[in-house]
Amino acid sequence: MRFTKAAATAAVLTVAVAGCGGNGKKDDSAGGKDPAKIVVWQMGDGSPEQTKFLDGVKAEFQQKHPKTDVEVQYIPWPQATQKFQTAIAGGSGPDVTEVGNTDVQSWIEQGAFADISDKLKGWAEGKDLNKGALANDQADGKTYAAPWYGGVRAVWYHKDWFQSLGLQPPTSWAGLVEAAKKIQDKKGVPGIAAPSDWTNGILSFVWANGGDVAAKQGGKWTGTLDQPQAKEAVEFYAGLVNKDKVAPDKYVGKNELQGPQQDFALGKVGMYMDGSWALPQLEKINAKDSKNWGVFPIPGKDGGLAPVFSGGSDLAVWKDSKYKDVAFDYLTTLDSKKNAQAFASTLKFLPQFTDVLQSATYKNDPIMGPFAQAAASGVKFTPTSKGWADYEGAKKVLPNAVKAIMQGKSPDDELKKADEQAGSLLNQ
Amino acid sequence: MLDTAQPVRRTPGRDTARPARRRRRPRSGPYLLILPALVVIGVLLIWPVVQISRMSFEKVGVRQLRGEPAENVGLANYRQILGDGFFWTTFRHTVLFAVVAVAATLLVGTLVGLLINRLGRRMSAFVAGGVLIAWATPPITAAIIFSWLFGTTGGLVNWFLDLLPNALVGSGWASYNWFATPLPTYTVLTICVVWMSFPFVAVSVLAGLRTVPRELYEAARVDGSNAWHGFWRITFPLLRPIFGVLLALSVIWDFRVFTQLFVMSGLANRDAFNLSLYGYSEAFGSLNARYGLGSAIAVVLTLIVLIVTAMYARMVIRQEGAA
Repeated sequence: MRFTKAAATAAVLTVAVAGCGGNGKKDDSAGGKDPAKIVVWQMGDGSPEQTKFLDGVKAEFQQKHPKTDVEVQYIPWPQATQKFQTAIAGGSGPDVTEVGNTDVQSWIEQGAFADISDKLKGWAEGKDLNKGALANDQADGKTYAAPWYGGVRAVWYHKDWFQSLGLQPPTSWAGLVEAAKKIQDKKGVPGIAAPSDWTNGILSFVWANGGDVAAKQGGKWTGTLDQPQAKEAVEFYAGLVNKDKVAPDKYVGKNELQGPQQDFALGKVGMYMDGSWALPQLEKINAKDSKNWGVFPIPGKDGGLAPVFSGGSDLAVWKDSKYKDVAFDYLTTLDSKKNAQAFASTLKFLPQFTDVLQSATYKNDPIMGPFAQAAASGVKFTPTSKGWADYEGAKKVLPNAVKAIMQGKSPDDELKKADEQAGSLLNQ
Repeated sequence: MLDTAQPVRRTPGRDTARPARRRRRPRSGPYLLILPALVVIGVLLIWPVVQISRMSFEKVGVRQLRGEPAENVGLANYRQILGDGFFWTTFRHTVLFAVVAVAATLLVGTLVGLLINRLGRRMSAFVAGGVLIAWATPPITAAIIFSWLFGTTGGLVNWFLDLLPNALVGSGWASYNWFATPLPTYTVLTICVVWMSFPFVAVSVLAGLRTVPRELYEAARVDGSNAWHGFWRITFPLLRPIFGVLLALSVIWDFRVFTQLFVMSGLANRDAFNLSLYGYSEAFGSLNARYGLGSAIAVVLTLIVLIVTAMYARMVIRQEGAA
């Protein structure tokens, strides 16, 4: 008797375990009619500001689609990749999703997003979208996403220190080193933070010198870091640590959040480079100093501004969505000039409409102004190859090369190795 | 054999029918009882191993997970990793770390076990309790705490080393970067891993020590032996099986260390990679997942651990045969 019972339990367990696998897919109702609900993925942890903003967008969207509910699901950034991969594999994605702009090309390649080229033509405000940012969302002449908000990096500095030391925001590389040196001598803290795990920031210096990380010729990517301009820029950046010695080696192997940000807020480093979006976090660390912080664009080598990488988010319609038209309506509501600007402002980012960027709103803002100025001077993007995700993410080619150079390895060897990696990773 | 069987035959009559009945009834009961466990092990352990072995011969990305057929690439994945000089760097790190960490874990664990055994009841409960807290700490928590301790801004270790006289430890500790080069990184990693794993050794050794009769030590002391001899002549031989198991487990655990290194130095420091981190970076490091290549690295790592464990098992069997 006891065995029979045990056997029954075992059988039930087996069935239960086996049963976990196959949940039926959602019912395919209503073709072109308004669905009962669309699902929207938003990155982040759903702060009160974000939630409030999205409630407003939903209300606006429902004026057009009163019967459709909008379910917003928040996905923390670090989990986004995994969530996307699972959704692509399992066919359980959202209708509209936010996506990091560096990831767009890879997801297009993996078939995550719907082609929205035709829908985009019917969207009036879409014509003012930043061309460079939009190009990042295109592959083979088709558009798969729309830029939503973006941000560029610049140099944060202590205004009060600059004042007392008689310094002006530097406009050349030599000036940057000079300012850093003076801070180091007079204030007893490192002049500037130069972390090595910082691909997009280091690239600003490369671009500023007329170099690039890779070039596409005849449909094939070739690494170009060993070219003189690029090499000079990388040597300058690494030299902040090992030649000019105005940046400490404690940030080697780290990114701007693993030390530099905190140290800057606490007054333990003179300057550090980060985006406008860092302000809320900086204030969280040390709010009472915030009035003394200022920003200037990353300088070019002999003056002028360095072209900067625009990090940010785009919006896409999921390929498996059954209600692509309704989803696109939601996308344009979320990405309207008014809403995009409102949301970008709460995050301390910039909207992606050229005409809005050049408006007086940004020109006169003490913190956002220099960022908008930098963005207007020329936004550049990393190679639009799906292999960039490997170059930047899995292999971290540039960070590891820069780290090695900072630690005294030969720039020629390291950059040649990096270019070999570019050749194999970007052309897969 | 017959001699021993006979008394059974002679026992009272109610037992005579039993052997026959037993043979008739299939003894499925015990198997049914372990069936749930087998199903769980099969689904959670064996099936993934089978999958990983299969994937290590294929080119698998996200599209393949979605249902597109995976291309069989034969041994290409293995050829790629074994031909990569970087693989051997991570291999060397893995092995060296395991050797040092296992030795340190066993040494510290044994010493603490002996200490707890010596202490009075209240004190030994206190120390054992404290030690168990370290054991209960999740690896990720421990890793974050250790990277804070050894951090450059507000790190306790740098602060303390900076306070010590320069003649003793040298200068420049205030902003020393522990995670810039492999050797200091692995020093911190070893401390962290040993801190987490020695309690298990200590408690196991303690349990073993409690079974050793005190008379043996008393007799040895009468013969004039000291603690050193007492340990090597009495404790160690008696506890040899326990040490064997602890050694095997430590080797398995320390070969696969991932969490702590991932948190402390992460993907930006390839010069400090070990095999697990290498496998992770290939499989999950970028959006273009390469599960096939990652699986191949995982299989290699598994094989290494299996070989080490098998060598050990052989040693034990031989020793027992000799005894």
